This record gives sequence, structure tokens and C-alpha cells, in this order.
Amino acid sequence: MTLLDDPPPPADTGSEYAIIAKGLTKKFNSFTAVDHVNLKVEKGTIFGYLGPNGAGKSTTIRMLCTLLTPSSGTATIAGYDLTSQPAEIRHRIGLVAEKLILYPRLSAVENLMFFGRMYGMEASHLRKRIDELLELVQLTPFKDKLIGGFSSGMRQRVNIIRGLLHNPEILFLDEPSNALDPQSTRFVRDLVKELKAKGHTIILTTHIMEEADELSDRIEIIDHGKIIGRGSPRELKDKFNADNMLDVFLSLTGRGLRDSASDRVVFTGA
Amino acid sequence: MAARNQTLLATWYIAQRDLLDFWRGKMVVAIFVLMPILLMGMFGYMYPTTPKPNTVVETIPSAYPNLRLALVLDDHSSVAYTFESAFTDIAQSQKLFRVLEYPDYVTARQAIVRGDLSGIMRIPEGFGSAVLSGMQGTVELTVDETDAQVAAVVQGEVTTIVGIVSASMSTSIVKSMMGDRMNPTFVIQPVSVSRVPLISGNSSNFQFLAPGFMALTVVMGTLLGVGTAISKEKEQGTMDGLMACPISMTAVVVGKTFAQIIRGLIQAMIVLGLSIVLFGVRVYGSPLLMLLALTLGVMSFVGVGIIMSTFAPDQETAQMMMMLLLQPMMFLSGIIFPVSQLPDWLQLFGKSLPLYYAADAVRRVMVLNVGLDVIGEDLIILVVYAIITMTIALLIFRKTMAK
Repeated sequence: MTLLDDPPPPADTGSEYAIIAKGLTKKFNSFTAVDHVNLKVEKGTIFGYLGPNGAGKSTTIRMLCTLLTPSSGTATIAGYDLTSQPAEIRHRIGLVAEKLILYPRLSAVENLMFFGRMYGMEASHLRKRIDELLELVQLTPFKDKLIGGFSSGMRQRVNIIRGLLHNPEILFLDEPSNALDPQSTRFVRDLVKELKAKGHTIILTTHIMEEADELSDRIEIIDHGKIIGRGSPRELKDKFNADNMLDVFLSLTGRGLRDSASDRVVFTGA
Repeated sequence: MAARNQTLLATWYIAQRDLLDFWRGKMVVAIFVLMPILLMGMFGYMYPTTPKPNTVVETIPSAYPNLRLALVLDDHSSVAYTFESAFTDIAQSQKLFRVLEYPDYVTARQAIVRGDLSGIMRIPEGFGSAVLSGMQGTVELTVDETDAQVAAVVQGEVTTIVGIVSASMSTSIVKSMMGDRMNPTFVIQPVSVSRVPLISGNSSNFQFLAPGFMALTVVMGTLLGVGTAISKEKEQGTMDGLMACPISMTAVVVGKTFAQIIRGLIQAMIVLGLSIVLFGVRVYGSPLLMLLALTLGVMSFVGVGIIMSTFAPDQETAQMMMMLLLQPMMFLSGIIFPVSQLPDWLQLFGKSLPLYYAADAVRRVMVLNVGLDVIGEDLIILVVYAIITMTIALLIFRKTMAK
């Protein structure tokens, strides 16, 4: 695997944290999706954010990505205030959502060029960056093929480098290995490790506990909108006297199925 | 300044991407081209394409040629036969009716009920003796009333032909009574009407419909296009990607609007080209002014499309919402039916739709060659609509997207 050329921009805030959230809350009418969540994510680490379906993971991520306005609470992301400086934050974060942020009728390069331009990247620099990233995920031979014809593994690889185009300090990875074959899963996980090694801060959400265990430096588990467990994978396993993260997760969140249905059809994650 | 440049660039790239995406959807492009063809073809051939005659003795054009008309002859006088053959001659030579002789009224009526005939003209017993004794002869007409449009045409055309035959009958009567002392036409019809067309040259009736269709097609395309563009991005998840980019939402909305305007204008050109080629429509006014009116027409609707698709949870709902708006608009904006024909409250509704003004402006420029002085009012109304709806759309879009 080739290495990325440019390292992320140096930290200019003096803080050792990439993300600090205080009392972050999101209410949808009477339903509280995220309830006074406090988070601290150290720079250059992988932060595993876990929880059952409907626990409030995606809502938290969407708030931190400036896609949702919090009902209350504050957050500082890459040193900027979430509510007053969203534009600054957007330059410094990358989003790899569960749903692909790619246009099926556009080729890989066209997709990447489009989004790169949305970040105001200069054309020649952008082209160089795209070539580099496509090489990194081994998709150079397919760069001019339409995304619609890609396999899910290929799509996800393009989806990830799309989030890396502007070389963001912080990368949000929402279930990056969801529905991928073992080869692609391995590839994605190695890529995540490499990104961390390059100095990126990564917020990872996943339902694959083994993945969280392997990748995360620190894990927080959210349920019913509240943080119910935090620590390094080692600490958590020791605390619950468990061999694996799955047992830790089940001890914390219980074995009951999380069936909930809203009357509203939501497209952008639960 | 740099931020503004970036917004402008982003707007342009979003428009470019939308158009590329649209162009790549081959089926969508095919339907995009087919839609105006279908609409034009349908209405173009449905409406009469030749002008009405000035005087009764000239040609009688019809939008419904060769309708099947039964003739039932219950009177066997020579007057009845003469009348019948004169009627049939005119009806068939002008291709108005295919005249079929039926032995009796009951059989002919059954044929109407079966749908084989459009009407029956019966010459009742006593027709000949009435005419010969100096009284008015009467023929009886039965039409297929299940089709109101055809019924009206049959009624009108039979009346016209009977009028022509009667006129020639009275001409010979006047001649036999007065010789050459008086012009028989003067006795029969002392005053006649001669029509002077509004625009010179032999224009087709479609000339007046085509501009309205241009406006309608463009607005339909815009509404459906923008609705789909936004709800599709919401549904497939790419909207999140756009929203997470450091660009203003104005760039997203305006970029998408721009793409729709270009699409709309292309469609308008298809409509115009078709009306020129198929229906002999002519452009009398300034094409630039027409384009301006159409562009403003599109802009007055984009906001509405954005508002609807922002609220709609998915593409299907968005499209159905658009149809809900489009259907009444099609009929109430003076494109197919004149607005003055509607009841007052519906007129008020029709005139509150921007399509009415867009169609009116395009029609006046294209057909009557008027300038800004005449259509200025229409354009101002469209601009006001555009500003109001786009402002609301932007506000709602901003609010809803971050909710």
C-alpha cells in the first residue's frame, strides 16, 4: 500500500483533543435521541463509538458533522465551535457515511472531482490527489468507470477516499465495513490503521465488535441516548471479565432486541 | 470575495453535475424528449389546424373529417332526392361526412347505439310537399350525444351544409320570381361577415396554442426535474455529503435551479421546433424576449418544486405532490381552455398561478410580436413570484436540512 503524500494539517489549537462535546442533546419532538452526551476524542486516535440500533450513534455523528443542529449542548471540533463556526469545521472533517456519498451515474474520477471542487480544491492539486488516493485503494484501472457498475467493496473504497480528498484532520467512518466481503473488510481496516498512523483522528461507528476491538484506542458505548460505558478495549474487557468486545457490549446493553419503529420515514440513518 | 467566488464556482459545478447526471440517464433523456412530442402531437392534432371559412359557400374545414352520417329518406318526392344529392355532394366532396344510406330510422339508431355512426339525418315524409307548397321543409337530426365534442361538430356541420343547400334553393326561387332584376344573394342574405385575421398570412390555429404548450412543458419539466433532483439526493444519501461540504446551501439550491433552467429551455426549444415543423407555427416576435419569459417562468416554479421536495419524504411523494399542482395548472392557466370561460373563483385561482403569466407573455411575443411595454406586467409578476418562492424555498431548505 502506498502512503498518503500530505499529512493532515498540524494542530494549531494547542489542545490535545480533536473533539470535545459537552452536554450534547438532540430532541425530535418529544423523543430524546441523544441525551447530554459528553465526549473527548484525543487527536490522532481511533475512537470507537458503539451502540445498538437506534441508540443515538448516527444522531451524534450527524451533529458533530454539522448536519444536524443540536437541541442543546456545545461541541468543539478541531478547535472550532460547532454552532458558530460550521464552515471552518467542514473544511477539517471528512464524512464516510453508511449510505454511499457517490453518484451512481458518474465515474469514480467524476465523483471525486466534483466533491473535491466542493471543498474549493484547486484543479491540478485535486487531480494529483485523486490519482494518489485511487492508487492507494487500488482502483486506478477503474477510475473512469461509472460507480453504478462497481461492486460494493469497490464502492466503499471510493466512498472512503471521497471523505479523504481534502485531507481532513478528523474522519467520521460510519460502519465502513458494512456488507463487505472479508477481503474488502481487511483492506478497509488496514487503511483505517494507516490513516491513524498518518495522524488523522478517526471516529468509527460499527456493529462489528471485533472490528471495534481491533481498531479502537478508546471506546464509548451509547444506549438510549446516554453514554453507558467508556474505556480502552482492554479496560472494558477486563472490567467485564470478558474475552471479547461482543460480551462486553451485551453485558452493557442487554440481550433484548431493539425493535423500534417511527412513524416518520428517515433516510439518513437512525 | 474568495468566499463569494467559491460559492459561484460551487453553484456552477453543482449545475454541471446535475446536467451530466441527467444526460447519463438515457431513459430519462428519452422521456424528456418524448414528453413534449407526445403533448404537442396530442393537442396539435386534436385541435383544428385550418381556419374557419369566411362565407358559407367556401370550404368548410373540419377537425373531424369523414364522420359517419346516416341518411334516412322517408320522403320520395323529387325535391327530397334533389336535396339529398346536393347535401351528399357537399358533405363528401368537403370530406365532412361519409354519408351512408339507411333504409329506416330504427336501423340507423341501432348503429349509433353500437357506435358505428356519429349521426342520422332523416328527411321525413311530407318534406317535398311542404317545400313545394311554399312552407319550410324540415329535416331531423339525431347525433351520438355520448360524445359531446363530436355531437357538436356533427350538429354544426349539418346545419352549415343544409344552409348552403337552402341558399342555393332560394337563389333559384328568387331567380325564377325576379329574373335578373335583383341579386339573389342580396335577397337571401343582405349582410355577410368577412373575417380579417389578427395576424397576416394563413396561420394555423395551433399558432395560438404552441406558446402555451412551450410554457407548460417547461414548467412541467422544471417541477418534476427539481423535485426529483432534490428528493433523489436525499434518498440516495448524497445530500448529506453536499451538506457536509464547506459550501453555502444557496449554492446547492441555485446550482440545481440553474440546471433546471437549462433543461427547461432545451425542452422549450424542442416544443418550438416541433410546432414549426409539424404545425407550421411561426415566430413573429423576438426569440430573445420569448426566452426571457420562459426563463422567468421556470424561475417562478423552481422555488415551488424545492419547497415540495424538501417536505416530501421520498421521490414518489415528491412526484405525486408535483402532479397535484400540475394537473389543475394545465387546465386553469389559459393554455388549453380560455381562462375567461371559467367560473369567477376558478379564474381567480388560474390567474394566481405563474404559469398563466408565463404562457401569456410567450404567446404575445411569439404571435403578436409585442415588446416589453406589453408583457412587462407579466414579467414583473413572474419575477415577484420567483423572488418570493425562491426565498421561502431557501429558508425551508436550510431549516429542514439541518433538522
